[in-house]
Amino acid sequence: MLRPLTFLASLCLIATSAVARELPEDPFESVMWQSMADRFMPGGDIVFDNKVIVMAPLSAENQFHVPITVDATALDNVEEIIAVADLNPIPLVLSIRPQAALSYVGFRLKLQQTSPIHVGVRTSDGVWHVAGAIVDAAGGGCTAPAAAHGNSNWMQTLGQTRAYAGRETLSNARLTLRMRHPMDTGLAAGIPVFYMNELVIRDDAGQVLAEVDMYEPVSENPTLTLKPLVGSDESVLRVSTRDTEGNVFEFPLTVPSSAGL
Amino acid sequence: MSRKHTLLAFAGSLALGVAGFSTSATALDVSIDEIMNDQASGGDILSYGLGPRGQRYSPLDTLTKDNIKNLYPVWSFSFGGEKQRGQESQPLIKDGVMYVTGSYSRMWAIDIASGEELWQYDARLPEGILPCCDVVNRGAAILGDKVFFGTLDAKIVALDAKTGKVIWRKKIGDFEAGYSYTAAPLIVPTEAHGPLILTGNSGGEFGIVGKVEARHPDTGELIWSRPTIEGHMGTLNGQESSMTGTVNESWPGDMWKNGGGATWLGGTYDQGTKLAYFGTGNPAPWNSYLRPGDNKWTSSRVAIDVETGEIAWGFQSTPHDGWDYDGVNEFISFDMEKDGETIQAGATADRNGFFYVLDRTNGDFISASPFVQNISWAKGMDENGRPLYDPENRPGNPTESADGKKGKSIFAVPSFLGGKNWMPMAYSQKTNNFYIPSNEWGMDIWNEPVTYKKGAAYLGAGFTIKPIFDDYIGSLKAMDPATGEVKWEYKNKAPLWGGVLTTAGGLVFTGTPEGYLKAFDDETGEELWKFQTGTGIVSSPITWEQDGEQYIAIVTGWGGAVPLWGGEVAKVVSYLNQGGSVWVFKIPEGLASR
Repeated sequence: MLRPLTFLASLCLIATSAVARELPEDPFESVMWQSMADRFMPGGDIVFDNKVIVMAPLSAENQFHVPITVDATALDNVEEIIAVADLNPIPLVLSIRPQAALSYVGFRLKLQQTSPIHVGVRTSDGVWHVAGAIVDAAGGGCTAPAAAHGNSNWMQTLGQTRAYAGRETLSNARLTLRMRHPMDTGLAAGIPVFYMNELVIRDDAGQVLAEVDMYEPVSENPTLTLKPLVGSDESVLRVSTRDTEGNVFEFPLTVPSSAGL
Repeated sequence: MSRKHTLLAFAGSLALGVAGFSTSATALDVSIDEIMNDQASGGDILSYGLGPRGQRYSPLDTLTKDNIKNLYPVWSFSFGGEKQRGQESQPLIKDGVMYVTGSYSRMWAIDIASGEELWQYDARLPEGILPCCDVVNRGAAILGDKVFFGTLDAKIVALDAKTGKVIWRKKIGDFEAGYSYTAAPLIVPTEAHGPLILTGNSGGEFGIVGKVEARHPDTGELIWSRPTIEGHMGTLNGQESSMTGTVNESWPGDMWKNGGGATWLGGTYDQGTKLAYFGTGNPAPWNSYLRPGDNKWTSSRVAIDVETGEIAWGFQSTPHDGWDYDGVNEFISFDMEKDGETIQAGATADRNGFFYVLDRTNGDFISASPFVQNISWAKGMDENGRPLYDPENRPGNPTESADGKKGKSIFAVPSFLGGKNWMPMAYSQKTNNFYIPSNEWGMDIWNEPVTYKKGAAYLGAGFTIKPIFDDYIGSLKAMDPATGEVKWEYKNKAPLWGGVLTTAGGLVFTGTPEGYLKAFDDETGEELWKFQTGTGIVSSPITWEQDGEQYIAIVTGWGGAVPLWGGEVAKVVSYLNQGGSVWVFKIPEGLASR
């Protein structure tokens, strides 16, 4: 019974989604470009777009902490931002859905070797607006044990947080946080995968402002900058994170009113 | 250079379609009724013990004494990695998927038809875990769309059965104080709270306090908690409920505060009495002169009302234990025919060498029969099942020695590893016999002074184990619970450390440290079949039916307490090699009828 039904179900899907897609040439000449596009930017058309700004160092001073900033505020109706490090053993770094936040994110990633970084910004029409950078790096960022493991009590400091929220404009805050977590990739010998994989920012009424899915290549002690939308009064941002072992860390941050701006 | 992607897009959506469909068609939803009915349903294994009563009896009879000779392996699955050590796990089976746990708090889902891995979960353990007796795990529980198991850092984790992703994870105890968790959780029905997931704890060698806790399976929220040691408070719905016993009734001074009584083997449940039965471990410290009194409820069986967490009854097999007769052994409910009556009984084969039959409704003592030879610590039992101690065979008080540092050493049988240790016995509804994996050994034991220090071993005793017979230690025995008579015995050179399974087909299965999975005739004890798995077996076999064929599975991998504590026994086990695999067997098509 199961087999014929399965066949029918797949046929239906093919009929609606098997639309050919033009894949533009990659300005970074990545050998993984086709694979990255197929795996992580499914669906709509793909265009390289200079409205997406990716700021990255030419050369990584530290392959465990490569700072990347993405500014796609020039685009309207952004639904999702994803970042991939093409030549990492695990390429997908993070995915952000800025429901009520500016299309802007700063983060740090681990690099296994010199690699193109591609950032895809999906707008509500399904189109992926892509930009990127090439970062030169020494090897081994993803397969070395986290620095935390040099310390036998690293688990006691898990989730310790330094965070700051300030007002940037009349309508948005700037939030920066850094949380203790080894972000183990599972690729270092004898150390199972263990990383912070969810972060949600809500307003005081519980409305989701931004959701972040993090993956193994996010740097140890994840460091993030986001720009949630806020009203002109003093307001509270509620940050909630969870790791792959189900540990939950939550904290509030107060954004001052616009009176002092 | 731009390319058309028709072909790749096609392949991508095909895969999506199949995955999407099969997920919805086979969404896992194990009900509490299915778990309660687990023993009768041959197509799955949804509980530790093949049914909540833990009888380890399967009604399947396709495999028989005649065709067992045709039993061959189907596949073997390696747990991989460098984390081998002891594998004491019993797998669960549902909808063609095996859920099996392994050493160092790992778990796998395996497709039974192909033997391929579906997912693996590795608990991220902290440094400094304190398991006393190897890094084992004994199995998982399953309910709804989740699987549950305990980890060595004293946590319980709920995983999505389809993906292996963590849904929730809760702390059972402080691992730095010596708490850990190795047993399979127990799922029970309740009227007040719906199904609950029950856990015990481990750490009796570190002066922890034994506890049984009940949690909501969807959230991990604690519903009730019941300490096993008198003086400690229980909780119900977030409020204090009642104290266990009365302070200083059977413990002196403050000794109850670190009194042990770990519920480290989990529990069983009987639908008739609606009680959960948990064994409790040794009192802490081992030196009994530091804690005059019965030391309740250590080395006992406690029956717990699953609605409230109150203790309905307790039976102490070794009051004032001085030998680490850590009476945590499983209590198996069964209906006993005796003198024309049907008795609602329960049986347990204790570390102290006696096989007890109790009335499972109220804990009343029915009988105690030795199941190992040369028991020396007790001369027998009184009419209530209280041991008649032999004072000569209790290790001496160190304060009576010249320097106060070491009491008189004595030789006691059985050894502290027990007439039977953790490995579960089986009860056959076909023969009405229990099949007990036991060991014939004794020990030199002496007492020393000790004080409690958090996270440090809290024993106050020294010991060394010695075999009693030259040619064997392990002994699988068939016992008639109504008469206490041993019907047959299989002798094994190395100590037995694995569980037993018996079937309506007339077979008794168990594994040996020498690496053999063996099948015996349930009436005569004749060895009918064996297979060499390549490493020692210290786990419990299972059987189930799939696509009309009867399967057998066993987890293999030498380890457990014997190689860590074995004393002179090391001679017969030191050459054994570690491993970590599951083996699955069936009779090849067409051979079942031969």
